[in-house]
Amino acid sequence: MSLSNGAILPATLASGTVKKVIEINKFLLGTMAGGAADCQYWETYLGIQCRLHELRNRERISVAAASKYLSNLVYSYKGMGLSMGTMICGWDKTGPALFYVDSDGTRLKGDLFSVGSGSTFAYGVLDQGYHWDLSDEDAQELGRRSIYAAGHRDAFSGNTINLYHVREAGWEFIGNYDVTKMHYDGPGDVPGAPVGGYGYDVRIKTV
Amino acid sequence: MSIMEYNGGSVVAMVGKNCVAIASDLRLGNQALTIATNFEKVFPVTDRIMLGMAGLASDVLTLRDRFRLLVNMYTIKEEREIEPETFAHLVSSTLYEKRFGPYFIEPIIAGLSKGSNKPFIASTDVIGCINFAKGFVVCGTATDKLFGVAESLWEPDLEPEDLFETISQTLMNAVDRDAFSGWGVVVHVITPEKAFTRYLRARMD
Amino acid sequence: MATADGGAYSYSLTVFSPSGKLVQIEHALARVAQGTTSLGIKATNGIVIATEKKSSSLLMDTSMIEKVCMICPNIGIVYSGMGPDYRVLVSKARKSAQGYWKIYGEYPPTRILVQELATVMQQATQSGGVRPYGVSLLVAGWDLNRGPTLYQVDPSGSFWAWKASAIGKNMINAKTFLEKRYNDDISLEDAIHTALLTLKEGFEGQMTEKTIELGVITVPSEEEIAAGMAVENAGTMRPKPTFRRLTEEEVKDYLAM
Repeated sequence: MSLSNGAILPATLASGTVKKVIEINKFLLGTMAGGAADCQYWETYLGIQCRLHELRNRERISVAAASKYLSNLVYSYKGMGLSMGTMICGWDKTGPALFYVDSDGTRLKGDLFSVGSGSTFAYGVLDQGYHWDLSDEDAQELGRRSIYAAGHRDAFSGNTINLYHVREAGWEFIGNYDVTKMHYDGPGDVPGAPVGGYGYDVRIKTV
Repeated sequence: MSIMEYNGGSVVAMVGKNCVAIASDLRLGNQALTIATNFEKVFPVTDRIMLGMAGLASDVLTLRDRFRLLVNMYTIKEEREIEPETFAHLVSSTLYEKRFGPYFIEPIIAGLSKGSNKPFIASTDVIGCINFAKGFVVCGTATDKLFGVAESLWEPDLEPEDLFETISQTLMNAVDRDAFSGWGVVVHVITPEKAFTRYLRARMD
Repeated sequence: MATADGGAYSYSLTVFSPSGKLVQIEHALARVAQGTTSLGIKATNGIVIATEKKSSSLLMDTSMIEKVCMICPNIGIVYSGMGPDYRVLVSKARKSAQGYWKIYGEYPPTRILVQELATVMQQATQSGGVRPYGVSLLVAGWDLNRGPTLYQVDPSGSFWAWKASAIGKNMINAKTFLEKRYNDDISLEDAIHTALLTLKEGFEGQMTEKTIELGVITVPSEEEIAAGMAVENAGTMRPKPTFRRLTEEEVKDYLAM
């Protein structure tokens, strides 16, 4: 997860048809890793609770509060087999905010996270390219490039990437990218992206 | 953790009309981590026989060297090229020699007989039980998927180019559904006149 | 140096004499030359191997003596020299052929089996505590690779391929006889008769089915070859034998002709 002028939220799809980024509401996004049903069900449930908070308090819930709600919720089920590794990400009064929440009960605030079986690969690219004042385009490209790395190297990640960008006005869906197409040809005519494929062998022209 | 899934990879071979094809994926993994995408699993034995192996990568390389040695010795001693059927038996006995501490590979043999140009394919399990199949043989981490796709795509008496298309589509579509195989595909087709090899543009995730 | 008693350098251990001879091997060859005559003739469609069967007593049941032996379905051999040594070699050859079948799923080509036998015989000339085998062998076989082939193997471990050859007591005369009689397009039937005629030269006593042994290689037809190699039979392949010992009745018939 990179975060600059806003928060970038890319994720990979396992089946190509399952959305791994769950749109909780216009300002909040959650990611999916671990048990797909657990994430889908409880993040949707979180959306309901966020809306109720809005109706009760006449103001949007903060990212901190939303993520804490989820964290407390999964903690109450601890030991019963829930499996979730998720990032809750959005924009509130305090600006952009990003939290890591998992089914162990861990909840962390941070500028940069990556979750899932391919997370280490994404971290590698992310850490190498991250800077606090990245431009929108460069941040989006870094997110894409990170998830591409995971999709390429990790056997359990791949297919396509969904990229979201969270700004003051709420999140925006940037696009869906095919990992194999990125490997051979690159993501296409996209701001911030280099010309040509990301693939190592493609770049050094051994193919 | 299964040793057969430690490095990943799959191989398939098919019979056509006076021709055979054998293909493998190119992934070398360490469990879920993809180490390399240029690891070929099919090797030439003679001008008209190829041997494919899926399983533990170190055993693939060891056996590739071992079979090269055994076939070289055979060629020198007998002053003739080994036949596909004979080579299949050699593979079988070599594997059974290690019955109680096997090599972790499943081999596939594809070739044309010398005199008759008759297509030949066979596979064995890790301890050398031979399977003389008629149409196609598969092995590796995508075995289940390969059986499924091959069962519906393969038909008898395909010409070399059609056989190439069939085996390519079979392997590519099967490994796309297998996390441990893929990342590129290489296909070899052997006909009485010539043999050709093609690297395919496959999914890289 | 090769005197009747063996002279110097004639130890159980095979060592060179100063003139470069291996006297033990010469002794072995001398023993072969005392043995009964055996011969082999290659024909266009097969091979015949033949030998004389001698018994020291009238009371001996000669029908139980087997000098022509099948090693595997495509190879048969005969010998001149020491019977017991031959028996050991037959046993080793059969084991070797089965070992080959176990690895490759088919029986060895003639040349491979001959090499194997020759190696065994050579080793006896270079190992401590053993003497060379006192036999020469005639090996007749058929294989897909070389077709019908006839080999001779000597106690030294040397081997040659022949169109026709003879070993044992009358080998010099027999070979001269064969040289006169042989031609390249002789049929198997003719070869069998030539074999019997050759043995007749210098035969002591009566030539009967009791005193003659014959073995033949018959080259299989294209159909028989194809049937043996059919994929359905692979793994359990039992090809039709190309080598056969002739029965006493068959030998009798040939002698009568």
